[in-house]
Amino acid sequence: MNLRQLVQTSFFVSTCCLSTLLHGAEVSIHKNEQSGLLTWTSKDNGFSIELIQLLPDFVRAVYTKHDLPRAEIDRIASYCVYGSILKNTSQQQLTYKVKEWTYTDSQGKIHPVKTKSQWLSEWRKAGITFSWTLLPDDVVFDIGDWQQGFTTIKLPRESKFDLTYTWKLNGVPHSGTLKNLTCPPETIEQP
Amino acid sequence: MLKTITLLLFASVLQLSTLSSQAAWEQPKLGYRLNPLPQPVKAPNFKLEDIDEYEYDFSEYRGKVVLLNFWATWCPPCRREMPSMERLYKKYQDKDFSVIAVNQMEDEDKIFAFTGTLETQLTFNILLDTKSTVSRNYDVRGLPTTYLIDKQGRIRYRAVGGREFDHPKVEKIIQSLMQE
Repeated sequence: MNLRQLVQTSFFVSTCCLSTLLHGAEVSIHKNEQSGLLTWTSKDNGFSIELIQLLPDFVRAVYTKHDLPRAEIDRIASYCVYGSILKNTSQQQLTYKVKEWTYTDSQGKIHPVKTKSQWLSEWRKAGITFSWTLLPDDVVFDIGDWQQGFTTIKLPRESKFDLTYTWKLNGVPHSGTLKNLTCPPETIEQP
Repeated sequence: MLKTITLLLFASVLQLSTLSSQAAWEQPKLGYRLNPLPQPVKAPNFKLEDIDEYEYDFSEYRGKVVLLNFWATWCPPCRREMPSMERLYKKYQDKDFSVIAVNQMEDEDKIFAFTGTLETQLTFNILLDTKSTVSRNYDVRGLPTTYLIDKQGRIRYRAVGGREFDHPKVEKIIQSLMQE
């Protein structure tokens, strides 16, 4: 049974869907029974990363509330957006740089993950001063530190991809890959 | 127009609930670890208004230990740590201690609406950093970020991400700084 089949099987489980070890990382996939959205969590070498699918309407609502122009709201909502929670679970200093992260689409093509700095640069050109909600892209985590924010991936709705992320623990580089992530759907059919 | 109103309502409800209720299990348990800076760093001064348009000069807090918290109403861990900040403030406000919550890029109405939803009434100062200039000066990358500043106006501890600030270990640090 591959990971995709495991996820599909997990739809019938009420709470946390499955937890498994991939290349030493503890990976779990969860389907929220209320929203139908998926969350992937990986814990490895002092670093925990959690990606929560967000619907485009939710993203539009967030940025409408922050008074972004309609065109920019639609543009970011066209991305696959994830609420991401990153944690230092170690007893050492941890750093990460989103500009080193990549995703591999279903055709095997590797893309860089768009950083907060890149978004803010584009937003500034559009006259937007709002600078929060996106995942900070260059962070030093001391012990117990954690952070959350949006991560954006430019792929079609419901497409599959692998996310490769890197971090340093006390200066030592590490990397991990979350496989078979799914871009959030346009909407969720309510029963 | 109707779509905009619907979206705004959607945002209000969802932002206050989705990343927490959609992910009720996903929100990490709040820790209590404050990390000491390798060397104390002079805390940048600032002047900001509160929601009543009263201007506060941070230099006037010299002589007090200050928990300086950067936050926003839409940020789930920011909201979760607020009650513990209030309990801490209540406990030590009559000593050489204060709490300042510096809100990022929101207006009085949003903050007022948010504080009205809390079971705990917030009595510490909430200041408005409407252009995020103060957070930039403090090199805040994400919310919440909190600094503990000593009586000499130097940053001594930092916490990135939500915390339970009235944990005994945090109180011990604050008591220690108050005794310096």
